[in-house]
Amino acid sequence: MNRIFLDVHALQTVPPSNLNRDDTGAPKTAVYGGVPRARVSSQAWKRAIRTYFRDEHLLDPAELGVRTKKIVELLADRITGLDDSVGQETALKLADETVKAAGFKTEVPKRKADQAKKDGGPAPAPESKYLVFLSSRQLDGLARLALDGAADIAAFLKTKENKARAKELADTRHSVDIALFGRMVADVADINVDAAVQVAHALSVHRVDNESDYYTAVDDENTDEETGAGMIGTVDFNSATLYRYAALGVHQLADNLGQGLREDEPRTEPVRRAVEAFVQAFVASLPTGKINTFGHHTEPDAVVVKLRTTRPISCVAAFEDPVRSDGGGHLREAADRLAAYASDVERAYGDPETTLTWVLRVGPATQKLADLGTEAGTLRELAAAVGQAVAERLEKPA
Amino acid sequence: MSRTSVLALRLAGPLQSWGASSRFTRRTTEPAPTKSGVIGLLAAAAGIERGDDGRLAPLAALRFAVRMDQPGTRIRDFHTAHHGVTGASMPLSERFYLADAVFVAAVEGDHDLLLALRDALRAPVYPPYLGRRSCPPAEPVDLGLYEDTRLEDVLASVPWQASAWYRRQRRTPQALTVLRETAADESAAAADVQRDQPVTFDAAGRRHALRTVVTDSVSTPIPSGGGGPQDAHDPFAALEALENESA
Repeated sequence: MNRIFLDVHALQTVPPSNLNRDDTGAPKTAVYGGVPRARVSSQAWKRAIRTYFRDEHLLDPAELGVRTKKIVELLADRITGLDDSVGQETALKLADETVKAAGFKTEVPKRKADQAKKDGGPAPAPESKYLVFLSSRQLDGLARLALDGAADIAAFLKTKENKARAKELADTRHSVDIALFGRMVADVADINVDAAVQVAHALSVHRVDNESDYYTAVDDENTDEETGAGMIGTVDFNSATLYRYAALGVHQLADNLGQGLREDEPRTEPVRRAVEAFVQAFVASLPTGKINTFGHHTEPDAVVVKLRTTRPISCVAAFEDPVRSDGGGHLREAADRLAAYASDVERAYGDPETTLTWVLRVGPATQKLADLGTEAGTLRELAAAVGQAVAERLEKPA
Repeated sequence: MSRTSVLALRLAGPLQSWGASSRFTRRTTEPAPTKSGVIGLLAAAAGIERGDDGRLAPLAALRFAVRMDQPGTRIRDFHTAHHGVTGASMPLSERFYLADAVFVAAVEGDHDLLLALRDALRAPVYPPYLGRRSCPPAEPVDLGLYEDTRLEDVLASVPWQASAWYRRQRRTPQALTVLRETAADESAAAADVQRDQPVTFDAAGRRHALRTVVTDSVSTPIPSGGGGPQDAHDPFAALEALENESA
């Protein structure tokens, strides 16, 4: 089998911020190398990546997925979109039957039904019992199937052949985000998708102790003798230089995406586009927790991307011994350590013949990373170069 | 009779999580890697698909043990999710991780099978992770294939894998805890049972059987020198040597 992995490493400094907080409101932490570290969970950053795909229009919306319980309403909208002679009520019925045939359980939420009865409103649409992740193309396929059987949807979907068709429609042409991050449906396991990407929790390269900001807010309208704060409170925060890492199984991604979405494009084209979008989004996305409080809008100071055939290698061990600030920040030493570790670990375990490396970096503190590989001038160039190399690798015979 | 060898793995990373009995919204971790987790890692590396129980069976039949070189600390992660359309909060969940832990896991069985698995680890089909996908290992996991030997002997001889900072901070422990399966010719009288013997990883329903686990300890083998591929300046190294002398 043609194994292709992409390692993405990034060093990113964030000022006082609270990107990802726990149930007490404090930034998440972990212990590594025996000292506390700032941590941003993988799930928080994956959500930022998904949002980035959508907001930056990196991919055609048809290639993206939606994660919702309101799957019946969504499909009904597609049905009426395709054929406006279908009434809303009929569309909901068609959608519900089709969603069920595809294997998702649905039910009318009891609380909403009771409320509707009380108010005399229309009965609410059924919802799936869990978040369902479907691509735009999958929804279109299901909508067309529903219309084909519109005459008697129940009988139509009872036939083995049509039922299988519904399942198949929900299980092919996965959106890029499903192909990357996977899909898990507890009771329809056969349409689950294993994620092609592993995103590690981001960790600070140095010791971090959370700090607490005590604040007071003045009541502008308070003209009483007794002045004082209108309210008081605390916000927890920290600042950190983070090591971020993700590994993408390009061959897994290709499997998940399946055949090219259009007849007229090569099979590698969707993979190339997905890889480029992932590299861009992983590097540039940012969890928005408390962003209006802290304005922690930063980009990584350095990015290293490796395309390889041997197993992915995280360089987090370079920071197990925490970086100590010499009064000049943590970035320079972090970059020096990453440069040294990456070339060392590559020498020991890597395959220099088949491994390609690119570097994107900012400022003199990251100078030592320049020798690791081909320097890219911009993020766009980096993504394009990686995408191009991926497409070439995929086309090579195994 | 075919040869019996042992494949040893170093499981280390900032975070790991090895669930054996998690349900609903509280995702716990065992204090050490589970057999199903480690066999799953090997099966994934070899490209065995979920549900291919025929190819999984010989892996699941390997005898398994794990040595706790650096137990780590348990941390709790609070997890929220939001509805894709309405933005409303979904049920909260708690996930537990082991932070800063290092283990040596080993499997014993047919030499040729283990040789193939070692090669798979070096160029895996699905990359390894430490119990949860967001927990990639910090360094290559493969510690080598030991020929014509037994699990107990390998775990007694593989050097102590604890991180440099941990070795500096603590004196070498007297012994390391080993959780291992009983050998064929051994009674399981003093054993615990744990439900982590993989039966199937089929997406339609993973199943695990009970497994007997014996807790032993081995005297600490010689610490591994150098601290891995990183060869940083270490001002404490000199002190460590003195400490060892006086000990």
